[in-house]
Amino acid sequence: MMNRRRFLLHSGNGLGAAALSTLLDDKLLANAGSHYAPKAKRLIYLFFDGGPSHIDTWDYKPALRKIHGVELPDSIRNGQRITGMTSGQKSFPCVAPMFHFDQAGKDGRWVNTDILPRMAKMVDEIAVVKSLHTEAINHDPAITYIATGSQVPGKPSLGAWLSYGLGSENANMPAYVVMISRGGGQNQALYDRLWGSGFLPSRHQGVKLRSAGEPVLYLNNPPGVDSGSRRTVLDGLAELNGQAYDRFGDPETQARIAQYEMAFRMQTAVPDLMDIGRESEHTLGLYGEDVKKPGSFARNCLLARRMAESGVRFIQLFHRGWDQHGSLPSKLRGQCRDIDQACAGLLQDLKERGLLEDTLVVCGGEFGRTIYSQGKLTADDHGRDHHGRCFTSWFAGGGIQPGIEYGKTDDFCYNIVENPVHIRDMNATILHCLGLDHRRLTFRFQGLDQRLTGVEEEAKVVRGLLA
Amino acid sequence: MIPDFHCYIKATFIGVAYAFAPLLQGAPLSFNRDIRPLLSENCLSCHGPSASTRKGDLRLDDRDAAVSAGAIAPGNAESSELVARLFSRDPEEIMPPPDSRKKITPAQRALLKHRVLEGAPYEKHWAFVPPVLPQVPGPAGRKLSPIDAFVQSRLDASGLTPSVEADRETLLRRVTLDLTGLPPTISEIDSFLSDSSITAYENAVDRLLRSPRFGERMAVSWLDAARYGDSSVKHADGPRDMWPWRDWVVEAFNSNMPFDRFTIEQIAGDLLPQPSIAQMVASGFNRNHATSDEGGAIPEELRVEYVVDRVKTTSTVWLGLTMECAQCHDHKYDPISQREYYQFFAYFNNTSDPGMQTRNGNQAPVVTVVAPVEEEKLRSVRLDLTKAEQQLQDRRTSAKAGYAAWAVPPASDSGTAPPQEPEGLQDFVPLDEREGRVVTNILGGKAGAVAGKLQTCAREAGRGVRFDGSTEVTFSDGPDFDGAKPFTFAAWVKLPASSGGAILSRMDVKDSFKGFDFWVQGRSIGTHVINQWPRNALKVVTKEPLSADQWHHVVVTYDGSMKAFGVSLYVDGQLQEKTVEQDSLKGKFKSGASFKLGARSEAARVQGEIDDLRIYQRAVPASEIDALKQDPVRTALAVPEARRSPTQKNLLFEYYLAHEDGDYLTALSGRARAELALAELTRGQATSMVMQDNAANPRMTYILNRGNYDQPKTDAIITPGVPSALPPLPPGAPSNRLGLARWLTDPGNPLTARVAVNRVWMLLFGNGLVRTLGDFGMQGELPTHPELLDWLARDFVSHGWDLKRLVKQMVVSSTYRQSSHQSDVLRERDPENRLLAQGGRHRLEAEFLRDQALSVAGLLVDLPGGPSVKPYQPDGIWGEVNINAGLKYDQDKGDKLYRRSLYTYWKRSSPIPNMILLDAPSRESCVVQRSRTNTPLQALVLLNDPQFVEAARAFAQRLLKSGARDTAARVDLAYRLATGRKATPHEIAVIQGILVKEQARFTTDEAQAKALLAVGDSPRDETISPAEHAAWTSAAQVILNLDETVSRN
Repeated sequence: MMNRRRFLLHSGNGLGAAALSTLLDDKLLANAGSHYAPKAKRLIYLFFDGGPSHIDTWDYKPALRKIHGVELPDSIRNGQRITGMTSGQKSFPCVAPMFHFDQAGKDGRWVNTDILPRMAKMVDEIAVVKSLHTEAINHDPAITYIATGSQVPGKPSLGAWLSYGLGSENANMPAYVVMISRGGGQNQALYDRLWGSGFLPSRHQGVKLRSAGEPVLYLNNPPGVDSGSRRTVLDGLAELNGQAYDRFGDPETQARIAQYEMAFRMQTAVPDLMDIGRESEHTLGLYGEDVKKPGSFARNCLLARRMAESGVRFIQLFHRGWDQHGSLPSKLRGQCRDIDQACAGLLQDLKERGLLEDTLVVCGGEFGRTIYSQGKLTADDHGRDHHGRCFTSWFAGGGIQPGIEYGKTDDFCYNIVENPVHIRDMNATILHCLGLDHRRLTFRFQGLDQRLTGVEEEAKVVRGLLA
Repeated sequence: MIPDFHCYIKATFIGVAYAFAPLLQGAPLSFNRDIRPLLSENCLSCHGPSASTRKGDLRLDDRDAAVSAGAIAPGNAESSELVARLFSRDPEEIMPPPDSRKKITPAQRALLKHRVLEGAPYEKHWAFVPPVLPQVPGPAGRKLSPIDAFVQSRLDASGLTPSVEADRETLLRRVTLDLTGLPPTISEIDSFLSDSSITAYENAVDRLLRSPRFGERMAVSWLDAARYGDSSVKHADGPRDMWPWRDWVVEAFNSNMPFDRFTIEQIAGDLLPQPSIAQMVASGFNRNHATSDEGGAIPEELRVEYVVDRVKTTSTVWLGLTMECAQCHDHKYDPISQREYYQFFAYFNNTSDPGMQTRNGNQAPVVTVVAPVEEEKLRSVRLDLTKAEQQLQDRRTSAKAGYAAWAVPPASDSGTAPPQEPEGLQDFVPLDEREGRVVTNILGGKAGAVAGKLQTCAREAGRGVRFDGSTEVTFSDGPDFDGAKPFTFAAWVKLPASSGGAILSRMDVKDSFKGFDFWVQGRSIGTHVINQWPRNALKVVTKEPLSADQWHHVVVTYDGSMKAFGVSLYVDGQLQEKTVEQDSLKGKFKSGASFKLGARSEAARVQGEIDDLRIYQRAVPASEIDALKQDPVRTALAVPEARRSPTQKNLLFEYYLAHEDGDYLTALSGRARAELALAELTRGQATSMVMQDNAANPRMTYILNRGNYDQPKTDAIITPGVPSALPPLPPGAPSNRLGLARWLTDPGNPLTARVAVNRVWMLLFGNGLVRTLGDFGMQGELPTHPELLDWLARDFVSHGWDLKRLVKQMVVSSTYRQSSHQSDVLRERDPENRLLAQGGRHRLEAEFLRDQALSVAGLLVDLPGGPSVKPYQPDGIWGEVNINAGLKYDQDKGDKLYRRSLYTYWKRSSPIPNMILLDAPSRESCVVQRSRTNTPLQALVLLNDPQFVEAARAFAQRLLKSGARDTAARVDLAYRLATGRKATPHEIAVIQGILVKEQARFTTDEAQAKALLAVGDSPRDETISPAEHAAWTSAAQVILNLDETVSRN
């Protein structure tokens, strides 16, 4: 907020007070700025699209070995609805993870050292929430739900709410950027609505940073137009638009002049941020070999750090391919190969730069997976279907108590037995860490003071997670 | 006591969105204007109409209830609990409770108290009271139109004066953009300016209302409201064809269909007596909602979601009500109970479209939209087809001699016995074709038509056909299996590293994938046998993938047991391990799809090489699998004629005809040509999705507990009906959507006409008289000009819901024609222009910005309607989000790059970004009010998007080739085209300055000029020097980006 104001005052275009007020209008209408002192100034959200298995990653317990091959008891399923993909199955044999787990960290927490060896070393940095839950059991509604607070399209995304509530810290960059990488498995669909602005003004929508083509859509000048030529055009335009302001007295005109200037600066600022040429070998090494491949998850993690450093409010990474209905042991291994070192490297890098203190990092998907096998269970193969009753995500950084576990599931990793966290509670907690009260971050639309966490069930900030 | 309540009125309005407080001093208190908003905002969420969430059994929205509960003692503040609570100092007692975060001010509390002292009179919510035609304010001698009289009377009260009329050029551009979405042409400007008659402006308005562009302009916001798109939104977000509905909307606006009919046909066109195709198409309004095809979804959950969307959209668009708030409990603010919600829901709950819908095209029910076919041509093509059939028959007879000579067994290796041929070969497709448009199924006796490329490929023992992902062969007849019949499919295949699709199929993708296929999935092979995917289906594939780029012999056998164990898979003769992905098949089925090679009824086109495809109507046992590798033609040929089985004789003869007999082949391709021509002529018979109620077995509606699809309260059936706070259904209205439509359009309905005229007002003035366009309920804003709104609504209905008349009434008003210059006084006193003392000014909507650029550039291809088109879009946009990179954006070429933007293909999970960045909604759900933002990304679109760069280049060319004699004249022309007015000398000088600089730069570096001029597909006039053309392109960019150009002034 302050930065933005400062930029406006110092942009050298002689903006009048009227233009200034127009630019800030939105912000004034929004509950401008934080509701209370934030622990985190920014958010990096590593979203694993498809529903990563909590059982095979972070919610392991040795007791699972005992139920391997055992039919899922009705007392556990307890009438739970299951998707059309396995509802026809005759048998629901439970599957223990086909991976090796070790105890790690100061409290000896179980981690899949087989496929998450690097993250295993970071357990004391993160808080693992094992009791997330959602009503949705299919991708589209579930991912729309966790990203926008509603299973039905049309609501603003978390990032749009943050942009609306907090604005950007960097006048030359959008408040909210999104980066996408592909995994090796079934790549479920993403939707622009996941970073859309819904009923909020569309300036709050996430801006996709792309690994191929222009880093931001339409960022580059057309061929044959260099920055000097663009300057000529913009100077002429600014002069003529200044006259239009005299003619119509419309503050929007002044705002438009400022937007064209900001666009011009973005043309330099974005490529600078995307250029990793000056990153040290040490830093690159943290993220692993993949960091050299544009568009990889590892590269996006490094870019996320660079964005965080430069004041982008919210950086959301989507990594695709976590929908293991079949061949889970091999496919999950492939997915983790993409992300393990990159996640650990990102945490380490943020830490080394002192950024982890005021950067909230969240990592997880839209739901978990079933304890029972989808399709045939063999000695070394099985699948798992979608499971919304419990799943796991981890949190780290600003506002989060490191090295803890929160919430507990039963011996079948099927039901929550302690401290349930609904996804709206999770979103409320994220807002809280960023200094926003989810009950006060509202926007009047269709007669209601709408909010990210919905207007029906009251969401709760998960205090037990907070530092 | 309250010394002077008027000062409290002023205070009251601070913090209330609909404030124009300083202008209201002296007005008497009004319940609807002054009191209800306070109650609604601060009290009603706990003490309102919602019984289930009501606290302390107290409601304050109902005077009788509030009085009998003791909350209000009319005229007696001391005895009123309401007042006591409002002014209590006890945190346990005070209302609203501190933790509710309500922000009621002391002045507002005092106002409520004052109202109690006044006797606490209530009024019904204004929007639920049918409007009566108000008296047009005087004085009578003023000669103002009714609109202007109402506006003037508010201005009089506030001491403001209206602005002067905008200059004529601005006015013409304004009204042309508002009515057509395009700027005026030079000749339109000239003829308007030279028309000095007093009717000049009105004549221009009449001309614009007659223009077919009027319907295109009006349609854009209607498409937002109707959540229209070219894709299904959820999960795979596959394509659909609803453009016939979109074209219906454009045509309805252009033909000035009365708004009541416009309503009835869209809500219930299908229920009209003997509905026309157009009326059926119109009913598709409520098929535009998002649908899903997600495999694991629960159909009933989706189906309920669709009905919920219809309720929400219909009530928002026609009633301005947030009825959706009553899905889970009674509405907290408006008098809509949960029961009434489900009564409304019941109107839309009996439709026949399923919960689980297709990802490929239109989901039934649909109507076929018949394109007019040239009858003469059709007859002649049919005749050609008959002739070709006859020639084929004739040749079968005359070919016998040639066949006998050909079918002699080779003399060699007489010692080896011919290999045993397995019994029961039903269909054999040798795939030996080298060219042409047909592929023959030898035993099935049919030729299949080839779509896409037919390319031959080599295999050591002959040749096969390469399926390149475009190739697809459709047979008019072929094998049919029903799930209970056994089969065997065998073929030689060579797959690339990444493949997927159907080798053969008879599968109706739109009907839950009913049918069967021989399937490739990432180089594994297998089969689907599907009654209804996925819950009633069989799917088995090999565990190990085939090696890439090598020929393998692959076989699927199925014993008809309806079980996965009844499927065996063989690769190169070896039995394979299977992955069972679905094993839930129950009951026989019949697929409605054609038999195909290389694809399913839609999509799933395989990539790879295929040869010698065999189909048996039995499960060939393991012992005979090896024999399937043989070419049966060779096998048969090795046997002397006398010892050949009838099948073998038939096989050989058919093979000979299809591959060795030139005359037969000529006749065959003649027939294929005729068939193609026929298909060509009958194509364009698109379908459009429509509403259709279940006639037999109507679906019952129940209240859904907390809105949950799986918790119907089955103790009471809910029948269709409308909220009791609104007038009842008209007598004789049927208990279905048609009845609902008649109620919506009944002159006594207090909402429909108000909501409709308010929307038209917004389109023309930039904001509604009620600024919350979708909420006329208690939480919505009050109208800035209530009497004007009512007058317009009554007048609209009493003149036959005549939209063009309404539009004209508005745009000829002095209010509309005011200058949009914002004076210091107005900026201070009415910055949002609520009192309408100046004309509106705002940026053009996304579509019209693009349309304007194309029009100014002379690129616009002004054709009406038809399938949506795909103009420039950055590469990879769909691929970033699609399921498994499924759908590709095939950018169009030629004219389709330059159509009006409402014809742009709208994929709703990933819409075309230049429009979205300019505030167009995704259209995943109903939007009646777009946001209007001003961002750096918009600047980047307008400066760098190839669509706009090309427009600048073409605009430059137009200026250079215009015959304008010098730079000044060209700049003048550019300004007239883009802003509707001439350039000032200063503006000409600024542009000249840019030209000088740019021309110098491009002259020294002509390569740069050429690079810029190469943007866009449209050809450039090569007679213009590159440097000059490029410099003018820069100048044109400035003019296209002027604040004045991108705004409606």
